Amino acid sequence: MLEQQLVNGFTLGLIYALIAVGYTMVYGVIELINFAHGEIYMLGAFLTLSFISLGLPLPLAVLAAMLATAAIGVLLDVIAYRPLREAPRLAALITAIGMSIFLQNLAMIIWGSRPLPFPKQALPAFFAESALTFADVSISWMQVAIYVVAIVLMIGLNLVITRTRVGTAMRALAQNQTAAALMGINVNRVISFTFALGSGMGAVAGIMVSMYYNTMYPTMGYLAGVKAFAAAVLGGIGSVPGAMLGGVVLGIAETLGAGYISSPYRDGVAYAVMILVIIFRPSGLLGRAVVDKA
Amino acid sequence: MDAILAVDGVSKRFGGLMALSDVSFTVERGTILGLIGPNGAGKTTMFNCVAGIYKPTDGRILFSGKERGQDVAGSKPERMTALGVARTFQNIRLFSSLTVLDNVRIGRHCRTSSNFFGAVLRTRSQRAEERRIIDAAMECLDFVGLGDLALSAASSLSYGDQRRLEIARALATEPRLLLLDEPAAGMNPKETEALVDLIHAILERDVTVVLIEHDMKLVMRICARLVVLDHGVKIADGSPREVRANPDVIEAYLGKGAAHA
Amino acid sequence: MRGTVTTLKYLLAAAALAYPLMPFRDVYVLHVLVLIMVYMVLAMGLNILPGFCGLLDLGFVGFYGIGAYTAGLLTIHYNMSFWLIVPLAVLNGALFGVLLGSPTLRLVGDYFAIVTFGFSELVVLFLTNEIWLTRGPLGVPGIAPVSIDVTWLASLLGISERWRYAFRGEAPYYYLGMAMVLLVYVVMRRLEDSRLGRAWLAIREDPMAAASSGIDLFAYKVIAFAVSTGIGALAGAFFARWTLFISPDMFKFWESFLVLCMVVLGGLGNINGALVGAIILIALGEVLRVALPKLGLPAETRFLAYGLIMVLIMRFRPGGIFTQVAESTMQSGLIKELRAKLAARRTA
Repeated sequence: MLEQQLVNGFTLGLIYALIAVGYTMVYGVIELINFAHGEIYMLGAFLTLSFISLGLPLPLAVLAAMLATAAIGVLLDVIAYRPLREAPRLAALITAIGMSIFLQNLAMIIWGSRPLPFPKQALPAFFAESALTFADVSISWMQVAIYVVAIVLMIGLNLVITRTRVGTAMRALAQNQTAAALMGINVNRVISFTFALGSGMGAVAGIMVSMYYNTMYPTMGYLAGVKAFAAAVLGGIGSVPGAMLGGVVLGIAETLGAGYISSPYRDGVAYAVMILVIIFRPSGLLGRAVVDKA
Repeated sequence: MDAILAVDGVSKRFGGLMALSDVSFTVERGTILGLIGPNGAGKTTMFNCVAGIYKPTDGRILFSGKERGQDVAGSKPERMTALGVARTFQNIRLFSSLTVLDNVRIGRHCRTSSNFFGAVLRTRSQRAEERRIIDAAMECLDFVGLGDLALSAASSLSYGDQRRLEIARALATEPRLLLLDEPAAGMNPKETEALVDLIHAILERDVTVVLIEHDMKLVMRICARLVVLDHGVKIADGSPREVRANPDVIEAYLGKGAAHA
Repeated sequence: MRGTVTTLKYLLAAAALAYPLMPFRDVYVLHVLVLIMVYMVLAMGLNILPGFCGLLDLGFVGFYGIGAYTAGLLTIHYNMSFWLIVPLAVLNGALFGVLLGSPTLRLVGDYFAIVTFGFSELVVLFLTNEIWLTRGPLGVPGIAPVSIDVTWLASLLGISERWRYAFRGEAPYYYLGMAMVLLVYVVMRRLEDSRLGRAWLAIREDPMAAASSGIDLFAYKVIAFAVSTGIGALAGAFFARWTLFISPDMFKFWESFLVLCMVVLGGLGNINGALVGAIILIALGEVLRVALPKLGLPAETRFLAYGLIMVLIMRFRPGGIFTQVAESTMQSGLIKELRAKLAARRTA
């Protein structure tokens, strides 16, 4: 029982991690909590659905959805956030929330407000079957696919951030935007790239969740977004490895908490984590210590 | 010497940087002390330690405002202000969207006491206190020469007037010790003269002054004693004449070999 | 000019007071007006934190909900008089404000916002799950309306009748609402022009300078938060005894966002702005609710419109409509005296 909970929690945690990195990267470069990120996750699922219904096979539909959401993320930055770079923080925050509401309701208009199932026919038949069974634990092929994809993506992200020029530029921007600009970094382009990267990963999370739970609905981005944000805070906001770690920890904590302590308060685990981390250890698990600039 | 302030072995570390290293000096009540040194010497850091913005890594700060000296190192800024230490900032920090008068009325905060209920119920004592606050604020404004501009927006003042407003706000807290951080910065000779007069007038109100300044003529003229910092270390402490001739001081400001040039 | 403005203000006030008594009054319009009043109070309450202290509260709805449920449950279980419930609800809201604020008000801005958000979500979860206390998602129906009971006066006069008037329809709530808005408005104006208000404004402008001027930042932030949450709870108590039914999904994050938009639209820190913001956004919602179906769109689309409008306003006028802060200080009697004195000095 415990082992199965851990496995499920780990699966959930990987999904949170994929969304959380998007929050943490954007906060790292422009210190904005991108409230609309949850909607990107949701759009990933719905766009995949639409691409499949247009006849694309699953892998192509997923790829197309990733590219589309990356583009939407960049558009979000360029149209809504970039004009407010110099504006007071509150204005940017309200804009983010406004865009979140806009996208949620747009999805409701386009796809309707009722939950839709993931098109089963597009999934390979063996996904539902159990890949591994040991000691009461059953891991389905779908879960295996989720693990593989998630881990590959996270390793890929890490490589992009640490080994590529644009990744280094992202890290430079997160530390000191003025200095980075003076070093010749095209700040706006790097920020847009950050949005694209985070959005693509968030979209994959959305696709995997809609596959795993066989349902998608326009407001799914809200709750998942809040929880992923809690994961990012837990890991240390601004730290990508932190977001990954925070996601997994939160996923496991939530599943165990729901299983052993209280199921109705399942969502409360994320909120409680968020509040407790911020009060007692604002830098999170892996973040830099918050320095009080006197 | 009746020392109003005694800095005793104060050090301040920021990560790997020792901004202040075992600095000790005393300030005699009723005098003007000049705290000078090249840029980055730690002068403002020293002010921040005394005023409560920073907690010293080491050492004591003994302040004898009204009572016996007590070690105030690590106290919060509002506590230091209540005890009688006021300061101005290197880069003027006014409440710019408020009026000149409001800036100074806020300075009266620690000497007044009305709370939520007084404000909402407009009790007689609250109204009387508000009246007293305006009177006291106007007194400070007139003292620095800004009385007529009381109801103007603080942001509309000229640079020199903004500096004077900051001083008026500091005086409104009824300090025993006033720390002025580069008050003459950006002033022309006429404004600097007016500032000298103002500082002398402040002394006459029983307020001791410590001054950070780069304008050497000003410093040499009005300061009774000077303390020189360089890279966080005290390198000289004495009268202006002594300090002016001190080879370490000359070297710190003008570089090696300048002392013997 | 000034005379015309004052006359206009009096005319407007008279019209507002007379409207429910007019034969052409519309129940729907009255209902919307009372709703606007509730939001006016909420907006004035929320305005304190970002407007006066520079702190962002994303969980204001939590305290609105606490006030509503305090009032609703006390009414259902103990049939308590509204007039006794109001101070209790306000105190409860303020208490929770202090409890939440104490560990969190030392935090940097963004973190405080996040914690308040998490808190309000936990409140909704609590209201939904603790069915033994709150009846969960079913909500609390059948809340008694506000009533004025002066039977004690009757018995004093030797009359053995029940002198009790229970509110019916929108009109009595309309007048009660006006009284509530007026009360909160006067409190806010007085706070603004006081030692407390100035301390808050100083904290908003420059916390370091405020501390150096002798202001205990933490204590004053807690006071601001408690006042803000108390006002939110007041609105909640009124709301419960007006709509006579409350449920957890009336207190979701959307409400916090809506009230925040009202405050920002009106101009952060400006009390009149909060009122105008409330009027505009509620009226807009109702207009959209009616107009959108006429354009062939479902009524829910108005949320999309809200989102878009907020984005546009932030883009083109982030300062809001009224940008002047602390304007009541300019109108106080003492300041007018000072102005006269200064003018006299200049001509002397």
